[in-house]
Amino acid sequence: MIESYLPILIQALIASGFAGVTLLLSVMLGKSSKRNAMKDSAYECGMLPLGEAQPRFSVKFYIVAMLFVLFDIEVVFMYPWAIIFKDYVNTIGHDIFWSMMGFVSILLVAFIYAWKKGALRWDN
Amino acid sequence: MITLNHYLFVSGILFAIGLTGVVARRNILTIYMCLEMMLSAANLTLVAFSRFHLTDGLPDYNAQALVFFTITVAAAEVAVGLAIIVALYRTKHSVDVGAVDNLKG
Amino acid sequence: MNPLNIELGLGVLGLLLLLAEPFLSSSRKVLAYVAIAGLLVALLTLITSGGSMSVPATMQEFYIADALALFYKGVAIISTLAVIIISLEYAPVLNKFVAGDNARGKEAGLGEFVSLPLFVCVGMMVMASAKDLITIFVSLELVTVSFYVLVSFMRRSAMSLEAGVKYLILGALSTGLLVYGMAWVYGLTGQMSLDGIQKALVNWKGDNTPLLFGAALVLAGLGFKVAAVPFQIWVPDVYQGAPTPITAFLSVGSKAAGFAVLTRVVETFTAKGSVIGDQVIQLLLILAGATILVGNLSAIAQTNFKRLLGYSSIAHAGYLLLALACVHQHSLAIAPRNIVAFYLATYLPMTFLCFLVLSAAKAQGVGEDLKSLKGLGHKSPLLGLALTIALASLAGLPLTAGFMGKMFVIFAATYESNYLCLALAIIGAATGFYYYFKVILTIYSTPEVETEKIRLSVLSKVMLGVFVAAIIVIGVYPDAIQHVLVAAVK
Repeated sequence: MIESYLPILIQALIASGFAGVTLLLSVMLGKSSKRNAMKDSAYECGMLPLGEAQPRFSVKFYIVAMLFVLFDIEVVFMYPWAIIFKDYVNTIGHDIFWSMMGFVSILLVAFIYAWKKGALRWDN
Repeated sequence: MITLNHYLFVSGILFAIGLTGVVARRNILTIYMCLEMMLSAANLTLVAFSRFHLTDGLPDYNAQALVFFTITVAAAEVAVGLAIIVALYRTKHSVDVGAVDNLKG
Repeated sequence: MNPLNIELGLGVLGLLLLLAEPFLSSSRKVLAYVAIAGLLVALLTLITSGGSMSVPATMQEFYIADALALFYKGVAIISTLAVIIISLEYAPVLNKFVAGDNARGKEAGLGEFVSLPLFVCVGMMVMASAKDLITIFVSLELVTVSFYVLVSFMRRSAMSLEAGVKYLILGALSTGLLVYGMAWVYGLTGQMSLDGIQKALVNWKGDNTPLLFGAALVLAGLGFKVAAVPFQIWVPDVYQGAPTPITAFLSVGSKAAGFAVLTRVVETFTAKGSVIGDQVIQLLLILAGATILVGNLSAIAQTNFKRLLGYSSIAHAGYLLLALACVHQHSLAIAPRNIVAFYLATYLPMTFLCFLVLSAAKAQGVGEDLKSLKGLGHKSPLLGLALTIALASLAGLPLTAGFMGKMFVIFAATYESNYLCLALAIIGAATGFYYYFKVILTIYSTPEVETEKIRLSVLSKVMLGVFVAAIIVIGVYPDAIQHVLVAAVK
């Protein structure tokens, strides 16, 4: 059982070894004593850094993120439902369909509410 | 061979880390992450018990149903919790627990 | 009739109100009246068809509709009704702290403020019937998450937000403890239903330490919800900061629903022959004693009326826990679960009366400090009288409802021979007389500044009258509620 984790261990060793060796080489080969403003600036894929290190995000991002979390997680119930649907629709009947529709309609009410309240509007 | 005890041990450690974080940390967001970790520890325990509690070769699905509900409840708690924390940050400009000390007596 | 229909109906009503809120152009008070009408219909349905409730076979595994469940469902509906009526009084304060500078209407937030309590009500009604760990968890969380929003509802008030954050963190902590405890109880017994767990506990062979660990975690999680010491730290702050109607809701509804679940869980753990029965009872007794002591002693020094009621709520939780722990006594004709139910029925009207007066006073510019209530008895004699009756009942004065509740608890403790807890209960009751009567004296003292007379709406006056009558009727003729409890069993 534990042997099956060996490749992961090897991969972890290689990954950390590569990072360590690269850092070590850059210290040894580079002229680390020479410093200037350009060298000390943050590295952003070769572009000149823009803005502050910790930009302030608009609160709109949080609202969208919250709504996303809320509507996203409901799939957790839909997957198992979809899988057992065919097996149970004959024994339980149409209740299994309508119970999920009830659940979805609750979400729909929440969605309409959020929409009308302007939570999805990006401008303003 | 990984047995039930291994899972219980890991989830116990996870729960203990979460609880310690809730008690010791001062940043409300960090506290919140620790709370989520406690719920994850409970989920791991449930799934482990379910997996090792076989009836007719099948795991006990009751526990897994509870896990689904825990995940959803955790998401709802996160959404509501973040909204409250953001609103608090707007009025106080801080997410340190030391900043919430108006109510005393 | 399937009792779940009432819950579903109320849930749909809540959703419709939420949906109507953004579309409505007229006064938001209409929504509150619709909610009140809906709750009255639900209450009538519950009362008229209470005896003929039957649960479908597919639901019997996790849902029960016995007398206890129906009683707590009634408590949930009545509390929600009272909360919405109090919210109407409190609406001006709510509006001030919810509406921004560019408020659309004069009643911002009132729509959500009446639909969320309906969701809480549904959660509490399901909690009353839950007999399965999953159902308990889901309904409890419906209540808790709705309460997070309600407590921090006044989003422009730093106090309300602070209360919200404190309730959020400690509520989530208790959820974590509860789920982890449930995971262990489930894992060890292999059962999710309380009946199955009870059987497994009776037939348990071997070491019972892990079981005790799980049971203790579950009790700790539920202890947070009903405000038992040492899990009571959130109570005073949250009670003070939350909008007053919600404080009342937390204090009565949340506690009652918590005790409904706690009754079933404790009965499962302490069933005859259970391997952890004795330890769980010990644990409950320790919690009860500490809760009575801490609640009552901390209340003495309070100067804020809401905080004082918070500590009083902790103290009452202690008496309720003590009643729950007296499982061995059979001398009293009334079982522990019924003592708890009776006590909560008496606790409901007196607590709501206090918060109704507080809400109306706050909405009309009077503060929540004790000293700003000075002279209330002279300015508004009827209101003062109602508050006096409520406080006397909270203290446990004979001929009021509170006296009968405390008496049952003290008798139960005597028959159980828990003399230490009995002593603590009596010390607590004596302390209660001191701090509740201090408030009554304040109401009738002469104020330093002149205050306006506090006015109430017609609905609030009706509620005031009904609750005062309930306190006195139960106090003089306690059989009234006992009949409800006993008759429903037969």
